[in-house]
Amino acid sequence: MKKIPDKDMLLFKSCLVSVEYPGVESSTAFLFDKLGIGYHRDQRQSCCTGLGHYYDLFDQLSTTTLAARNFWVARDSGNQNIAVMCATCYAILKKSAKILNEDDEAREKINGLLEEGGMGEMTYKKGDIDPHKNIFHTAEILHSKRDLFEEYSQLDFSQFKIATHHACHYCKVHYEDTIGGVRHPMLLDELAASGGVDTTGWYDQKRLTCGAGFSQRFTNKELSLSVTGEKLMSLRDNQTDILLHMCPNCQMQFDRYQPVIEERLGVKFNMFHLNISQFLALNMGADPYKVVGVQTHTVPLNPLLKKLGVEPVQSSIELKVRADH
Amino acid sequence: MRTLKLDDDSSKLANEVISDLKASPSLELFKCIQCGMCASLCPGARYSNYNPREMVKRVLDGDESVILDDDIWNCFYCYTCHSVCPANNSASVVNQILRQKAIDEGKGIEKISAFLTYGDSFLEIGIGSIPAAFFDILVTDFGPKWLDLKMNLDSVRKELGLGPVTLPEDSIEEINKILNITGFTRKMEKIRGSE
Repeated sequence: MKKIPDKDMLLFKSCLVSVEYPGVESSTAFLFDKLGIGYHRDQRQSCCTGLGHYYDLFDQLSTTTLAARNFWVARDSGNQNIAVMCATCYAILKKSAKILNEDDEAREKINGLLEEGGMGEMTYKKGDIDPHKNIFHTAEILHSKRDLFEEYSQLDFSQFKIATHHACHYCKVHYEDTIGGVRHPMLLDELAASGGVDTTGWYDQKRLTCGAGFSQRFTNKELSLSVTGEKLMSLRDNQTDILLHMCPNCQMQFDRYQPVIEERLGVKFNMFHLNISQFLALNMGADPYKVVGVQTHTVPLNPLLKKLGVEPVQSSIELKVRADH
Repeated sequence: MRTLKLDDDSSKLANEVISDLKASPSLELFKCIQCGMCASLCPGARYSNYNPREMVKRVLDGDESVILDDDIWNCFYCYTCHSVCPANNSASVVNQILRQKAIDEGKGIEKISAFLTYGDSFLEIGIGSIPAAFFDILVTDFGPKWLDLKMNLDSVRKELGLGPVTLPEDSIEEINKILNITGFTRKMEKIRGSE
């Protein structure tokens, strides 16, 4: 088992976490604080380009040069490790680090461009960041501390059937680094189990993509929702009550589109969606509105909180329309 | 003895693909044995005419028309093919390179012009945003609560103990400089000009 760092960590901000499920970031910070993991967030850090990259808009040179700048931000802030909350950031940063370490011509070109732009301090030296030893998904970091979960866990989830969705860009892109299996991923199942929570384990479409497909969601919506629907139906066959996530794009695809697909297929899924950090934080007593961020979800989480007997501190912001589909 | 004559140009396209910056040195395009593992697990192949096995064969055959084939735009970039290929090829990466070629040749521009506002947002605030062209559709699909979240994002973030999402001015300037010298800004203008 490789050594997973627990300090000197740049907690890498994700665009979709920031604007769709900011509770993923506050839950991760809550867990890191509780578990004594040393981390820093830096205002200078830019988005990884991932969505634009896979919309085919960003080219590899631009993506990798911006990654070189973000790697500089990590170094300059005294943090040699990077922890990401999004599977796309994970794949993009690892690939950029590999290019910068292994492709001498590309590295020299990128350094030349940074010098030309008067940003010589950002130039990248081979080996500045090790994609295998310095870049991790936050779920991997939590996994390395899972022995501590039991003492902090407070809720009884035994009445729920819980399944997991392991993001493709975590499992399948840099599969040599994936912890907990690629074809039958168990990382999130093991995390839940450490807090005393049982999961379904395998289900028929466990390794199927969420269906977002980057541009597919927008330009090929029928194709995209067919795949999402297939996965939701497989989860329904297993009577899943809660689906655990590790990527905000997947979470968006399931949580935001679930009511749309229910209407299209004429079925009810009755499935709650939580990122693994949100789930673990909730189980460790974090407030649903002040930390977990349930207010930004499309599928309302209040029925789940009620069944769990959680009494949230009332939100001071009432989103004007609490329209449930 | 019969000898098989190979056309000198037949591997031109495949060589261009493997020499692209997106292709890692471990991409074993030439080792594809056409086993079809990629196609068997491909969500794009299950619901459309896209066939990653056939796409790779056409690249290996030097069939340049594959670049302009509309079906390549049905790949989800889920990397399932990449993770199961027994030969260490990656149809997903090959696909991404073919799409870039289509864009460079001007034919793929219509496919990405709707995403230009993501690039605009990146240049303005250092973070990409949901492409404006699709915003109204998302509001219809996700409902008024989602729109309300967009309008109240700063206060929701504040309640969660999080600051504003935008970057400091200096950082935005650096990002603009970088995207200018890498040619990204020029590419955006070119795409916009040919809309």
